[in-house]
Amino acid sequence: MAKHKKAKRANASKKRTATKKFGRNALAVATNSKKATSQRVAALALAPLAVSGSETDLQRVLKLLANPDEPIEVRFAALDSLQTASFDAATFSSIHSDYIATLRKLAEDPNYELRQRVLGILMRAKDGFAQKKLLEGLKNPAKALLLPEKALQLLSYDVHAEAYSAARAVLKKRPNDDAKREALRLLAADPKAVPIFEKVLRDKKELRENRQIAASALHALDPEKLQSQARKILLDKSDYADIKATSLTALEQFGDDAALSKDKALMQSVNRFKSGKTPAKYKQTARRFLSKYGQ
Amino acid sequence: MASSGNAMRAVSEDEFAGLVDLLAADPAGSAQLADLLREEHPVYDGRGTATVVRMRGWILLALARSALSDQALIFVLEELDTGIDAYLVAAAARALRSYTKPNEALAPFLARALNRIRYRDEPISFASYGEYATSPAGTTAVSELLATLAWLGPNARAVLPQLERWRAEQGLSRKLRLDLDRVLQAIGEPADSVPSCCGGLPEGSNISIRTSMARLDSRSVDSIVMQDQDGKLLKFVEFFKGSPSIVVFFYTRCDNPQKCSLSVTKLARVQALLDAQGLARRIRTAAITYDPEFDRAERLRVYGKDRAVRMDENHRMLRAIEGNDALREYFELGVNFIESLVNRHRIELYILDAAGRIAVSFERLHWDEPQIVTRAVETLEGMR
Repeated sequence: MAKHKKAKRANASKKRTATKKFGRNALAVATNSKKATSQRVAALALAPLAVSGSETDLQRVLKLLANPDEPIEVRFAALDSLQTASFDAATFSSIHSDYIATLRKLAEDPNYELRQRVLGILMRAKDGFAQKKLLEGLKNPAKALLLPEKALQLLSYDVHAEAYSAARAVLKKRPNDDAKREALRLLAADPKAVPIFEKVLRDKKELRENRQIAASALHALDPEKLQSQARKILLDKSDYADIKATSLTALEQFGDDAALSKDKALMQSVNRFKSGKTPAKYKQTARRFLSKYGQ
Repeated sequence: MASSGNAMRAVSEDEFAGLVDLLAADPAGSAQLADLLREEHPVYDGRGTATVVRMRGWILLALARSALSDQALIFVLEELDTGIDAYLVAAAARALRSYTKPNEALAPFLARALNRIRYRDEPISFASYGEYATSPAGTTAVSELLATLAWLGPNARAVLPQLERWRAEQGLSRKLRLDLDRVLQAIGEPADSVPSCCGGLPEGSNISIRTSMARLDSRSVDSIVMQDQDGKLLKFVEFFKGSPSIVVFFYTRCDNPQKCSLSVTKLARVQALLDAQGLARRIRTAAITYDPEFDRAERLRVYGKDRAVRMDENHRMLRAIEGNDALREYFELGVNFIESLVNRHRIELYILDAAGRIAVSFERLHWDEPQIVTRAVETLEGMR
């Protein structure tokens, strides 16, 4: 038994050595500027095997990422490799501080995609530097590092990112559709934004996606207001089927059953919705609702 | 330098930094600097969390330029005890080195901070207000903590085993390994080679006990309308009068697990201790949210349930539907907001007597569950 255990340990040790050697060879290719970019990128995909155990190897990959003279594909691959290695927090901690310094520096890299990726990583870590840069860019487009919709999306990763006023300012400026959508998503955690969401939900000229965001936000922030608006939507003959279906679901799942069961006007509207030129899937929603209240 | 609340709210970050620098240069400015660290100070009203971090960090660094007072020490220890922001932890570690009474009680705070920050170390710049380091050349939060442990020297002997374990682990950079070796060497110096003073923390630093005569009347909050985790409405007086109670403040969107989440979890343990002593019906408990607009009944219930909090007629999760400002004033809560969102708060627990008056408060540092129960029982027995 002891012999078997010894053999098992020796095998495991051999495997670890072989794996490290394999990873080291991959790293040698990755850091060799004479190799083809595609080879280096492929090698970096294998690098996590080696880098996660060694500060020196991690620093070599970090250097690749930081070097603006390296091909951008190699830099992206280096970033992927480091992000993977960062899951092993204990060993990655040897370069964590240097990694953050590098990412902050790259937040102003000439390559847009690289800026976006590093700012995303920093915002997920709730980095104050990244937040300051993104907010500055929303206030002053000349300093913007990313498109406003992307900046808002990244700011939403941290609820404490003082982005509510920035999002409202974006909404006031009549932004493009993407920016408006992201501003609404960000405000979905702000109780003060309830009037905004009521307005968006009731506005038939609004994009459907925004109305759905509004419904979801109202449900989280002020369910009673959603119930009230949902009822008005269902009574409105001219509103769209998908929004009516969302309203029905909200009432069915979270409404006041006693009040709803006595609401004749509502039941009549839902009946009309079920019988009219409504897509089949929404008719099903209506049938389920009516069945719940014995109609 | 007197400043009205509104004037302070309008101060820009650069103006604030200038004010702090002026106070730091004034030998009599230390008390005002410490006062600026109160979370509820108007200067933080309407500021985002990252801005508050920059502001508080600059104050801590200003305090480090001269001898850190006993009054300011508690803010430094608070940051080391529960802080998760690398910049503030680094600034606190640096500030501690200007305290004139190094002693053994300080080492565990540094060790706890090290445990929290070591996997999320960041480069730090103290060169100018609000500067973020973009190069690895300067200091880091871990470096500052190690430097302060080295400063403590033999006073840090109690945490030597933890440091030795860390040295044996993977993941320590070469530079930090050298720093750690310096710390281990400093700890190993003879005990009389460094000053050691007056063991322990300054008295009354985080616990305040009020005699019956000194307790404020609760009339200003009696009619505040609250809602519990089941949606029931009740007035402050209906829950908090008649029995002593233990109250913690929290909010569900707190992203520091060492503060709100841990406080509410510990409240559940306090409830268990009360129950074990047959006191669950004689001493009430409550967790009140700082964020009543967002923390609606359902959220309160789920948050409490996830932390094994007992919820019944004597133990509730609460939000103020009306009168939240009066509640904030009555408890002198250490909290501030950007719009409705908390930007910074301290740990705070209160023991109220049977008249709803504050008898004991525990602030800033984490409290011990048996100690809370002991104080609550004393308050109960004070009724007799």
